[in-house]
Amino acid sequence: MSDRLLDIRDLSVEFGPVARPLRVVDRVSFSIDAGKTLGIVGESGSGKSMTALSVLRLVPEPPARISGQILFDGRDLLKVPRRNMPAIRGKDIGMIFQEPMASLNPLMSIGDQIAEAIMLHESMSADRRRERVLDLLRLVGLPDPEGRLGAYPDQFSGGMRQRVMAAIAMACNPRLLIADEPTTALDVTIQAQVLEMMLDIRRRFNSAILLITHDLGVVAEVCERVVVMYAGKVVEDADVGSLFANALHPYTQGLLRSVPSLTDTRKRLYQIPGSVPPARTIKAGCPFRPRCPARMDRCAVEMPPLVPYAPGHRAACWAVSKEMAE
Amino acid sequence: MTDASTAEASAELVAEREALAPEPGFREAFAQVILERPSTRIAFVVVVLFILIAVFAPLLAPHDPLRQSILQINRQPSWDHWLGTDQFGRDVLSRLIHGSQNSLIFGLLSPVFAAFFGTLLGVTAGYMGGIVDRVISRVIDMLMAFPELLLAILIAAALGGSFWNIVVVLTVAFTPGFARVARASTMAVKQEPYVEAAVAAGVSTPRIIFRHIVPNIAAPIVVLMALWSASSIRIEATLSFLGIGTQPPNPSWGNIIRDGLSNMFATQWPIAAGGLAITIVVLAISIIGDSVRDFLDPETNQ
Repeated sequence: MSDRLLDIRDLSVEFGPVARPLRVVDRVSFSIDAGKTLGIVGESGSGKSMTALSVLRLVPEPPARISGQILFDGRDLLKVPRRNMPAIRGKDIGMIFQEPMASLNPLMSIGDQIAEAIMLHESMSADRRRERVLDLLRLVGLPDPEGRLGAYPDQFSGGMRQRVMAAIAMACNPRLLIADEPTTALDVTIQAQVLEMMLDIRRRFNSAILLITHDLGVVAEVCERVVVMYAGKVVEDADVGSLFANALHPYTQGLLRSVPSLTDTRKRLYQIPGSVPPARTIKAGCPFRPRCPARMDRCAVEMPPLVPYAPGHRAACWAVSKEMAE
Repeated sequence: MTDASTAEASAELVAEREALAPEPGFREAFAQVILERPSTRIAFVVVVLFILIAVFAPLLAPHDPLRQSILQINRQPSWDHWLGTDQFGRDVLSRLIHGSQNSLIFGLLSPVFAAFFGTLLGVTAGYMGGIVDRVISRVIDMLMAFPELLLAILIAAALGGSFWNIVVVLTVAFTPGFARVARASTMAVKQEPYVEAAVAAGVSTPRIIFRHIVPNIAAPIVVLMALWSASSIRIEATLSFLGIGTQPPNPSWGNIIRDGLSNMFATQWPIAAGGLAITIVVLAISIIGDSVRDFLDPETNQ
């Protein structure tokens, strides 16, 4: 493996009583190499945001209990004392949030908010900091950065705010950028621009990106690897090419089939029956079983392990393993 | 607010161009809204006038407010004594003018101190939560169970009525209200994505509190400050009237009325003038407070 930047091993996040825990993230493992983009896809409630938040230790503990390992550059972030986390947040790992409309302080100017992010981690003169802020605004493609320094968030549109958010996240050239549904709240055209900007940033700084999304189109466009999550578990993990060419897990297949196609307009859009079960109701076995077209008796009893079926392609499904065995 | 979020790319360009045009600043908008209403404008002038009177009291007062004259007791208004004299022969107008200093200083000082301590307590409780929140909230509940005036009388009676004692009294009486408002607002603002984003950017807790939370809860605090300036002036007058506020012979509007009451049948001017002064100032400050609230409250903002 080339230089592995983030290596998550058996990450679990639990809430509620110890005896009857509510596992929203269940033994998740994946890794990201420097300069690469990994997408986590899944429906709402699949634990993808919770996974990302635990990397920055933004999940309040207690009530949450987090176990496993989050190795960032070989250091286990879960063992870093809580008071040392602010030094890592923003500096080594930057985060772009889902809601650009609400993620900026309405009473601070754009320039001040970006400057704050720099000031926290690097000491430099006010003039140099101003230069840096302008550089960042140029980097994220905001027109007329000089004129915008003193502007307030309510003077900006959603796409512009998301660019500012990205500038804040990139303020200290983090080696890992976590983007939690960065494009969900944006128009399609702006989405493309924001994704292009993220890729551009990645090219320049060789940072890795952890992209959380439920949009497979976005994944196809920017990611090298994909992790598919369902009900807190990783159900499939593959290179983007092999995932789109040869999805193994019935859930992934369902997700791919429910993407509207440009060429075929007549057919009714495919829909996976049912919805993600509330975490409390999941019993033994595979959580996807009630909605699965390929379910077998074994699925009700035992959760299938995540096993490799091709180089760099793992899936957790009894049906797949049976098929492969034949 | 631009509505570009719902529009397409072209609309965004328009919005971007619009954003380039300077929007009216907060200060201008504030001044505009506040001064739009004639009542508020008049109230503003009145308050400024009274502040000027208080500041320049020694220059404006025609006589020494403390000088007694046995030869000029209970005079009716004349050219020399515009509002007549009281039972000690002191000039009522001069006492009123000097009394405005005490009344206005109390009116401004206590709410400012109370806002400071109340916000500190409220934000701490709201942000920390847990046991800290519970302890602070219970103490606030306890203080709030007392009516402000009763609490003020209690402390003033126990400590005596010196200047700073009264300020302390009123500050203690007002702090719980500010703490409540600050706590509730903090708990709301704490949930905002921009606070979470600040945490994710590595901003330290004190900085989050002072840079990201306090400015965003300032609006209700400022309104409360304006509204309680009026209460504060009223309570100081009440305390002085009851004899536990500003101590004679120093004038304050409250004890001018008190002195006048016992002498009501000889001259009515001290009561009338003191009462009117209190009424006008309290009314003016209340009107300004209401306007500020209307401006800052998004529900009523146009």
